Amino acid sequence: MVLDLTMSMAILALMGALATIAGCLEDLESDVGSQSNPNSQVQLAPQMNFLHRIYNKAISGEPISNGLSAVTGGIVATVLLDAKFFPLIAIVIGAFVAAVIYGIFATTSYAGRVASQTRFKQPLYMDIMRYTTPSIIAHNFIVAFCLVAIAYIQYTLLGYPFTIPFLALIWGISVGAIGSSVGDVHYGGEREFQNREFGCGLNTALSGRIVRRAESGLRNSIDNVWFCAKFGGPATGIGLGLTVFFSSWPTTIWGYTWAAIGVGIAIVAVFVVLNRLIEYQVKNAYGPYKEEKNEKEAVAVAHTH
Amino acid sequence: MSDIKEISPNNLALFGIIGGLVGIYVSPLFPPYTPTLGALGAICAVIWSAEAVRRVAKYGLGTGVPSIGQIAMGMGIVAAMFGLAIVTAFPGATMAGPVVALITASVIGFIIGWFAQNVIKMKIPVMIRCMTEIAAAGSLVIIGFSVAVAGNFEFSNIIAMVFDNGVMLAVFWVGAMAMLHPFNACLGPDERQKRLLYLAGSTGAITMAIMGIAAIMTLGTSGVITLILGIILWLIFYKKFWDEVYKDSAAVVGTGLIPKTEA
Amino acid sequence: MVALDPTLIMNVLLIAISGTLVCIAVHFIPVGGAPAAMAQATGIGTGTVELAAGSGLVGLITASYMYANEPAASMALVLAAGAMGSMIMIASTMFAGSLIYAYGVGVPFASAQIKKDPFTGARQDLYMSKGTQGQGLPTVCFVSGIIGAALGGAGGGLIYFVLVQLYSQSALIGTSAAAVAGVFTMGVFYVNAVIPSYGVGGTIEGFHDPKFRRVLPKDAVTSFIVSLICGVVAVFIGGGLL
Repeated sequence: MVLDLTMSMAILALMGALATIAGCLEDLESDVGSQSNPNSQVQLAPQMNFLHRIYNKAISGEPISNGLSAVTGGIVATVLLDAKFFPLIAIVIGAFVAAVIYGIFATTSYAGRVASQTRFKQPLYMDIMRYTTPSIIAHNFIVAFCLVAIAYIQYTLLGYPFTIPFLALIWGISVGAIGSSVGDVHYGGEREFQNREFGCGLNTALSGRIVRRAESGLRNSIDNVWFCAKFGGPATGIGLGLTVFFSSWPTTIWGYTWAAIGVGIAIVAVFVVLNRLIEYQVKNAYGPYKEEKNEKEAVAVAHTH
Repeated sequence: MSDIKEISPNNLALFGIIGGLVGIYVSPLFPPYTPTLGALGAICAVIWSAEAVRRVAKYGLGTGVPSIGQIAMGMGIVAAMFGLAIVTAFPGATMAGPVVALITASVIGFIIGWFAQNVIKMKIPVMIRCMTEIAAAGSLVIIGFSVAVAGNFEFSNIIAMVFDNGVMLAVFWVGAMAMLHPFNACLGPDERQKRLLYLAGSTGAITMAIMGIAAIMTLGTSGVITLILGIILWLIFYKKFWDEVYKDSAAVVGTGLIPKTEA
Repeated sequence: MVALDPTLIMNVLLIAISGTLVCIAVHFIPVGGAPAAMAQATGIGTGTVELAAGSGLVGLITASYMYANEPAASMALVLAAGAMGSMIMIASTMFAGSLIYAYGVGVPFASAQIKKDPFTGARQDLYMSKGTQGQGLPTVCFVSGIIGAALGGAGGGLIYFVLVQLYSQSALIGTSAAAVAGVFTMGVFYVNAVIPSYGVGGTIEGFHDPKFRRVLPKDAVTSFIVSLICGVVAVFIGGGLL
């Protein structure tokens, strides 16, 4: 280890903070463009005669598209670092190039998907294209910046054996995996079906029947990001922040030993307990959807009398 | 929509294989002007593989289109490294590298396709053929873009110029994206081959531009050529794609309310 | 061709085993695909491949860093480091996901495949909403996911460990061993993450799902053979080319 303990903890904290921002913004970016699994509802809606004004950013799954922007940012930053640019400027330019390329992919997926829905009469709204795409680029710029910065820190300061593009790619895949596992549920499970009762448990029969009207006027993707920024995004940020922080924290403190592995496993055990506590609390707070069967029969008997 | 004429898969496969191999073999000849041809060859392979992805993913893979691009690049990278490395053991056989990689990829693709069809029982009739094609195209995409960055396909040179600085990851990932994005972005009941192929050209050209940036670091002048040519090609294909979108869409409107439907 | 060296055969087998580990891991991770993102199915609301890859590759980072800092580390320690990284990634992901299911969507957690959670004994069927395949992440899925991540991270770490040792002795690529081994690991990892995804058809709840027993053997056989080929190829790339 080159760094003393205080310094390595400081760097770890910085990485955790960057990861939290990246995670949060990644999820919001996937909501602003409607990507990944919840997008299946946006895709399905015109077929159910629910034409809409929501962006359809089917670049690919989130891990792949974020991997794309992260690795592009990593490559450009590497080239600029090789040309003796100042690291911060190299990372910023790299993230910018990555975000613009990401934006190009976003436009082709919106246009392509809508053009493939001709028979449902879904129009392609150019104003949606014009003012949502820059927002996608802006969100993705922050994500790419944070991820390339993490990769740069790990490669340059901490001496990881992989290169900047490699580390950026892995964190890009991870941020996408976490974003699509965490934040997307808030978008797909709540925001797209906000007119249904909270906690109703969405019946599969509702598929494609998304909300198309906003608080005022017709809903678009910018309205969605406004909602998801309240919970889905921050929760995703916590997910990635915890991942980055806790995956390095045990080895930073306890060194490269079995003790560190033991601490890691203890952290995982704490997560299991926390999840169980949430499960327990939620089940008690909301109660079951159906009554116990014999109770039901009893009720039925009572009715017949 | 079957009355629309489509380019047959066989022609596209020939286009991809011949275009890819020619590009790869010509690229080391006259530096710094020719390495960019490797990227052009890779674009041919991207267009071929986009069509192969389209044919197999139409059946619904159960886990999304992107997975097929990932497995293609996984197989492609294993085969490409093998093909380029194995020939170094036989003096004078360096030229055979890309062909060996192509054959290895086809074999691995065939085996995975066979298992997917007969052991996992996916019941997709074109599975074996498409998996073979996608793997083969994956290896050509990887070698083609690597050559554009490294200047030639000698394994030691590729290791130094493509692996050590991490460019390989961009080849791997952006190449996979170039292959899977066209079908993923055009998915829908009114998907059309022509639009998809233009989009494949566009994604391939974007990849080429990124490789151009990387090649500025490794090759200098040649990288600038690749970058500029990539951007020009991208502009052409992107414009063509948009022409098709305007032709195929129900309506392209500046703004407006949701049209009335029965619902 | 020289006589087959037992260590080379060992390496090939280790790569085949690690590929199979990755394949088995995917079956453990509770993934509900698009329906889970709408809280219409139990599990994490994303695709099998990407979650396995996301967690496995975090494991690859921790394993490689462990190996870089402790080149003398035993194989078990490197594998454990990979497993730890993966487990932490998936645990924090599932925990954050649970927060959303609980407070953002407001659904109690329920598995569609079992009546009672084997770990907590909590009833599942009563909490399943009409017209869905369960929702959220009950404890059994959470534990299953962590087991899966541990296997995946260990699998990824094992491929990397074998290859980096093999390649660092190679005359051709000795100086770039980590880079080549990393890329190769990623390739093998993705192949082995996609194969089981096709087997499970995109969704699985974990080891308690009947699908688990149905598809695991054939996926594992496929993965083993494909990884065996990859192993042979890997040894050819690095092992002085025989």
